[in-house]
Amino acid sequence: MAGSALRRLMAEYKQLTLNPPEGIIAGPITEENYFEWEALITGPEGTCFEGGVFPAKLVFPSDYPLSPPKMTFTCEMFHPNIYADGRVCISILHAPGDDPMGYESSSERWSPVQSVEKILLSVISMLAEPNDESGANVDAAKMWRENREEFNKIAEKLVRKTLGIPINP
Amino acid sequence: MSIPLATAKMTSLTAVAVSLVLSGCVIGNAFRRKEQFFPAVVYICKSNPSMAIMYMQALITVYLLGKLIGKIFFGTLRPAESERLIEKSWYAITETCLAFTIFKDDLSPKFVALFTLLLFLKCFHWLAEDRVDYMERTPVISVLFHIRIWSLLTVLTIADVYFVHDAYITTITKGPSVQLVFGFEYALLITLAMTACTKYVLHGFDVHSDTFWESKAVLLLYLEFFIGLCKAVMYIAFLIIMVKTYTVPLFAFRPMYHTLRNFKKVFQDLVLSRKAIHNMNTLYPDATAQDLQTIENVCIICREDMSAAAAKKLPCNHIFHTSCLRSWFQRHQTCPTCRLDILRPTPITLPSTTVSGPPPTSVPPTVGASTPSSSVSSSNNADANGQGLPGHNQAGNISNFFNNQSPLPYQFRQYAYQQQRTSVDGNNSNTNENLNNSDSQQNNMSESWAEYLNIPGPSFFNVQQSSSSNINFDNRTPFPGNIPFVGGVAIQHPELPADLDTLSHEELYQMEQNTRAACIARLKYVTDIKTMLDAAMVMMNHYSSACLVAGLDSTNSTDSTNESNTKHLDDYEQFESRPSSNSSSETDSSDISNITYELEETDEQRKIRLKRLKKFTTFGNHTI
Repeated sequence: MAGSALRRLMAEYKQLTLNPPEGIIAGPITEENYFEWEALITGPEGTCFEGGVFPAKLVFPSDYPLSPPKMTFTCEMFHPNIYADGRVCISILHAPGDDPMGYESSSERWSPVQSVEKILLSVISMLAEPNDESGANVDAAKMWRENREEFNKIAEKLVRKTLGIPINP
Repeated sequence: MSIPLATAKMTSLTAVAVSLVLSGCVIGNAFRRKEQFFPAVVYICKSNPSMAIMYMQALITVYLLGKLIGKIFFGTLRPAESERLIEKSWYAITETCLAFTIFKDDLSPKFVALFTLLLFLKCFHWLAEDRVDYMERTPVISVLFHIRIWSLLTVLTIADVYFVHDAYITTITKGPSVQLVFGFEYALLITLAMTACTKYVLHGFDVHSDTFWESKAVLLLYLEFFIGLCKAVMYIAFLIIMVKTYTVPLFAFRPMYHTLRNFKKVFQDLVLSRKAIHNMNTLYPDATAQDLQTIENVCIICREDMSAAAAKKLPCNHIFHTSCLRSWFQRHQTCPTCRLDILRPTPITLPSTTVSGPPPTSVPPTVGASTPSSSVSSSNNADANGQGLPGHNQAGNISNFFNNQSPLPYQFRQYAYQQQRTSVDGNNSNTNENLNNSDSQQNNMSESWAEYLNIPGPSFFNVQQSSSSNINFDNRTPFPGNIPFVGGVAIQHPELPADLDTLSHEELYQMEQNTRAACIARLKYVTDIKTMLDAAMVMMNHYSSACLVAGLDSTNSTDSTNESNTKHLDDYEQFESRPSSNSSSETDSSDISNITYELEETDEQRKIRLKRLKKFTTFGNHTI
């Protein structure tokens, strides 16, 4: 019988396909490997990321859902909680016990109750409201705090890039 | 590695091409000058630049050979695999370079070749491990996969054993040399190969069995523990030998640290999970069919349906598959939904003992009315809780505080969690959820009140019905919401109020004597009171910190806090107007009607309430 991780991922995939939440598309890259997913996230309305469609990759550990998956944006991103290489740094993706930034309380950490859908929803809310205390991208955090206009400009450029619209001068 | 794989591939292709061209030039140049085979070889060997190019060519040939063998055994690597491989090889190369610094006297092409071989074998071991893990991830496993894994693991084990043996013989006959390091490294690789073999067998069984294999996770944990122990022992032995014969082996420190840390973690996991699983098996009840009906009947860990036989109910009323809980407890010993610490002394028997006293007579009807729905409300609660993550730290500390005292009843803890949850939850976008939750929270709290009121005999809190106007916290106390906490303390003390009424005259007389037992009992009560006071202090601290959080959130989620606070106040009012419970015989029907009258909400009360609330929030803001 297939492993529990595999069955749970299949169940989540089914759930996401049957009742897709707004602004999220996610599923395994190939049906041969359910542990690597691709996700498309639309930028939340009313924020500087509005209208963008951001591709990301989710890699699940073999003991999912006991351990959290890793999420990486595969497009260029400029955001206080996203590392330069695209890795997403939010507390829901960190197992209780490890704390890369030293500020998260264990109450916000990963637990098997979470799911892909909740992760993606938290990422959307992270796009809407960056947490500038986390220094995944210090430049972005600084700009978010001190020069919001410039930040919005960069975000708009990124949105255009993901949509393939030429950037206006 | 931040270098994209495509670029890496391009660079390696260019490197191969350049080295081929260069070595071609060198050989061509030598033959053009010397024209015969032997003189040409001598010429190349004598010229340093030519030799350098030839070495590089050899290295690249080995690399290509390794790729070829990899292709045979693994086919195309998945991106995740090659990423992990590249990362690990960088560490391995750095450590090898560090090792060279210790054995710089022995440095010769032969050793470089041996180290390269070691590196390649290491890579194959890592890949084999990855592949075996991959078995769990894919629904389709071909025959080719099995053949590849089997042959690979056999070849690797034979190679490891051969090299360990070789190193042993060399060290025995020629004394300690760099072979020590090789022997040690290959011995480590044997453990890796053995892990992969065992895992392969376990996964194989799992794939072919028709039912879910429950004990697999436990077996894997034991395997990890055993391998960790082997590795830790090996590293320590190696360190001692190296320090005695050479110097401190710097290159082994990083992996040694990792191994020891992992081992410590696995050991802790093992001990704690055994304890948690033992707790689960012995103390927590199986979920009944009724329990399952009231909730959605889906185990939130594996998202599959639950049957009554295979599900357990935790003290916090959350229900999961026994097998899912077991594997989760191997990582963390908390409730997956509300993070209740499973390892504290369990209060599961407490509610029944408190209720088992003489039948309650003084329960105000308004409070009593909500008890029948309590079990439903708490399971609703389970669902609502699933959406958010209630705080754990502080409540956990309090529970530790009570470890040697009687444990907190779970209603109180749950309440404390929710209390914090509503404040932490401010940034959660589901305000709807929030409202639902505060509803169930109210139900839940009235449940705990009902529990409390069931305690017979003299109450610890002699709050007179008429004194509700005297207890005017409005202007002085900025914590209208802290009443539940105080109530929690009252619940958690089991000995104080019970049984005093039922004592016979003889018994009372006996107690008045200055016997040793009586003295001890009195002293015990005094210490209990002290503990309770301390506990109250802790609660107050806890509450004021919760208040801080609430104050932070009050800017963006004032609506929801208002909502829930008003509810606390309702309960508080109920509490205030509760008649003194030691006068249980006096409670008659007129009293009850009085109470209901008291509880009816007037505009006046509403105003007072809002005022308190305002105070409360402004206080929260001031303290920041």
